Amino acid sequence: MQTTHRLEWTLLATPLMAFLLVCLGFPAIVNLIYSVSDISFETLRSPELSGFGNFAAVLTDSGFWLANWFSLRFGLLTAILECLIGLGLAVFLAPLFKERSWPIAILMLPLMVAPALMGLMYRLVLHEFAGPVPHYLWAWFGNSPAFLGPNSAFWTLIVVETLQWTPFAFLLFHMAYQAIPEELREAASIDGATGFARFWRIELPLMLPTLAAALLIRFIDGFRVFDNVYVLTGSGAGGSTTSLSIYIYEAFFKQAAIGKAVAASVILFAASFAVLYGLNRLARRRRR
Amino acid sequence: MKPATRFTAALAGSVFAAGLWAGAANAEVTVLGWPGGPEETALRAAADAYNAKDDVSEENKVELLFFNRDGFWDKLQADLAAGSDAFDLNLLATYSIGRYAPFMEPVELSDGAQALYGDAVLSTMQFDGKQYGVPTDLSLHFMYYRKDLIDALMSDDDAKARYAEISKEHLGTALEPKNPDDWTWDDYAATALYFTKAVNPDSPTRYGTVLQMKNLLFNIMVWQSTARSYGGDWMDADGKITVDSEAFRKGLELYKTLYDAGATPRDSLSYEFAEANAAYAAGQVAAMVQWNAAAADLTDAEKSPAVGEVTATIAPPTGPEARATHIHGLGLGLNKSAENKEGAKAFLKWLSTEEAALIYARAGGAPALSAEAVSEVAEERPDLVQLGEYAGAYGYVMNGGASANALAIYELQAKEFTGYWSGQQDLDTALANVEKGMADLLK
Repeated sequence: MQTTHRLEWTLLATPLMAFLLVCLGFPAIVNLIYSVSDISFETLRSPELSGFGNFAAVLTDSGFWLANWFSLRFGLLTAILECLIGLGLAVFLAPLFKERSWPIAILMLPLMVAPALMGLMYRLVLHEFAGPVPHYLWAWFGNSPAFLGPNSAFWTLIVVETLQWTPFAFLLFHMAYQAIPEELREAASIDGATGFARFWRIELPLMLPTLAAALLIRFIDGFRVFDNVYVLTGSGAGGSTTSLSIYIYEAFFKQAAIGKAVAASVILFAASFAVLYGLNRLARRRRR
Repeated sequence: MKPATRFTAALAGSVFAAGLWAGAANAEVTVLGWPGGPEETALRAAADAYNAKDDVSEENKVELLFFNRDGFWDKLQADLAAGSDAFDLNLLATYSIGRYAPFMEPVELSDGAQALYGDAVLSTMQFDGKQYGVPTDLSLHFMYYRKDLIDALMSDDDAKARYAEISKEHLGTALEPKNPDDWTWDDYAATALYFTKAVNPDSPTRYGTVLQMKNLLFNIMVWQSTARSYGGDWMDADGKITVDSEAFRKGLELYKTLYDAGATPRDSLSYEFAEANAAYAAGQVAAMVQWNAAAADLTDAEKSPAVGEVTATIAPPTGPEARATHIHGLGLGLNKSAENKEGAKAFLKWLSTEEAALIYARAGGAPALSAEAVSEVAEERPDLVQLGEYAGAYGYVMNGGASANALAIYELQAKEFTGYWSGQQDLDTALANVEKGMADLLK
C-alpha cells in the first residue's frame, strides 16, 4: 500500500519537479556561476571563475545597502498601511456589502491597472501643468507642493502603491470577515459585548491568520517593487528611490556590471529564503 | 504502411515543406528600427523606395521590425549578446556604439557619403576608427524662448532696471537684457530669474525656465553643454579624467542656483523630455534648453496653442570657451549574426546615398546633411538647415562619449549630479564620486 502511494506521489510530482528544474533550477545555476565569475555581455557563454569579488563589491557598495533600506521601509510601510486600510474597509463596510456587492467591483478596479501604467498615470496626474491635482491646488490655494521632489518622492510613492494595492488586502479581509460564523457574533452580543469588543476579542483574533498572510504578501510585493517606482521617479535624485530590484536592474543593464548584479540577486535570494524558512519554522512551532 | 501512419507521415512532410517555403520567403533583409516617431515613418518611406527599385531582388527586399521604445537599448543589448539573428540591421546610437560594437560588423558606405554628411556627422557612428553605421538622424539641443516676452523686456526701461537688480542680487553682476542669440549662460540665468514669479512677482510666467533634472542619462546630455562651453571635457588628450574642473563646477552650480531660486518647477528633479515640454507648452516658462525633436510641436500653433506662434529656436548660450551643443546620432548598423549580410550591406550602402537621405528627410527624419544636400529639402524642412548648421558649428561629443562604457558614465553622472542638485551631497563629493567611478569604467 505504502509502495503504491510512493509511486503515485512520484508520478504526480515528476512534472512539477521537471518544471521547477527547468524554469528555476537552470537560471539559478547560471546565476550562481555568473555571481562568482568575471562576466560581461561579450563573455556570457564563457564566464571565467574569479572567486567572490562580485559579492565583496556588492557588500561594500553603499548603494546596495541604501537600496535595501529603501525596499525595507517601502515594503513595511506599504504593507502596514494597505492592511490597516483594507481591514478597516472590510469591517466598516461589511453591512453595505451584505446588502449590495457591486461596490466591491469598484473597489477592485485599481488592481486591474498594470503597475507601470499606474506610474505613468501618476506622472501625468501630478504634473504641475498637465495634472488635475496640482491644477486645483494652484486654483484654490495659489500653490502646490512638489509631489516628486527630493523630500516628498518617497511618500508620494508610498501613497501611489497603497492606493493601488489596498483593494487586494481588502479582498482577503472581506472574505475572512464573511467566513466568521454569524452565531459567534450573536452569542457575543447576547453576552453584552459592544461592537468594538466583538471586533477586538472575536473577529480580529479569528482574522489573524489572514492578517499575517496579507502582511507577508504585501511586504514581499512592496519589497521587490520596480515598475511604478521606475516609471515615476526612476532611481530618484541621487539614487534616493532605488529599490533593490532597481539596483539590480541598473547594475545589469545600465552599468553592464553583470557579475555584481547577479551577486546582489543571489544575496537577495539567500536572504529571502532564510526569512521565509524562519517564518515557516515559527508557524510550525505555533501550530504545535 | 498503415493508413494512419501514412497520414501522419504525409502531415509531417507537408509541415516540413511548408517550413522550407516559409524559410525561403523569409530570406529578406530585416531591419530593427526606432519605433513610434518620425524615425519610424522615415524608415518606412526609405524601405518602400528601396523595395520598389528594379535591381533589388525578392530575397533582398527590406522588412522592418519594431519593438517598444521602453527599454529598447537593454532589449537590444540582450538580443545582440545572445547572438540573435532575428534582425540583420539594427539601430545604433553614438553613446551606445562602444557597447554594441563587439556584436556588430563595420560597414561600407556609398562613395558620396563623406560629401553628403561630413566628417563630424559620420564620426557619430564610428568606434575605434571604424564606421559601424549609417547616420540617419541627428539629435542636438536648441534654446527655445518666447519672442513676445523677450521683445517686451528689451523695449521696457523699467523692466531692464528690474532685470539688472535681479541679476545683481542673484548672480553678483548687474546685467542688461540681450538678444537671445547673444546670450551667455549668465544672461540665460538672469532671464530665467527675471521671468520667475518667486523672484519677480510681476513676471508674466510662473517660471523663467524648466530644467530636466531627473536622474536620467539623457538629462546629463542636455546639461553638459554648460560645462562644455566653459571648456569642460570628460578626459584630456592623454586620457586623464578632467571632470573635477572649474568648467563642470560652473555648469553644475548654474543649475543649482536656478533650482534653489525657484526658477524651474519644484518637481524638476523628476522631469525629463515630456514633462519639460508640457511645462513650456503651458505658457508658464520663458526659455529652456531642449532637444531639437521638440521643435515640431513647440513651434506649431495647433499643437501648442499657448506658445506655438511666439516660440523661436537658436543654439544654446555661449560660454567663455565655446558655444556648444551635445550631438549624437541614430543610425543603422550590421548585426554580426545577421543571416543575410550581403543583402543588408547593399541596403546600408544605398541608405548612405543622397537619394535615400532626401527620401528619409522628406518623410520626417532628421539627417544632418551638408549645406548643398540640405538645400534640396530646405523649403519642406527648414529645421534641417538649422540642424546641419548647428551640428557643424557647435556640435561636440565628449572625449570618451562613444567608449564602451559611455552609457554607464552618463548614468553615474546622472546619479551623482542629481544628488548634488537635490541637496543630498555637496559638489566636491559629487565630482569626486564621478571621477572615481569614471576611473573604474574607463580602465
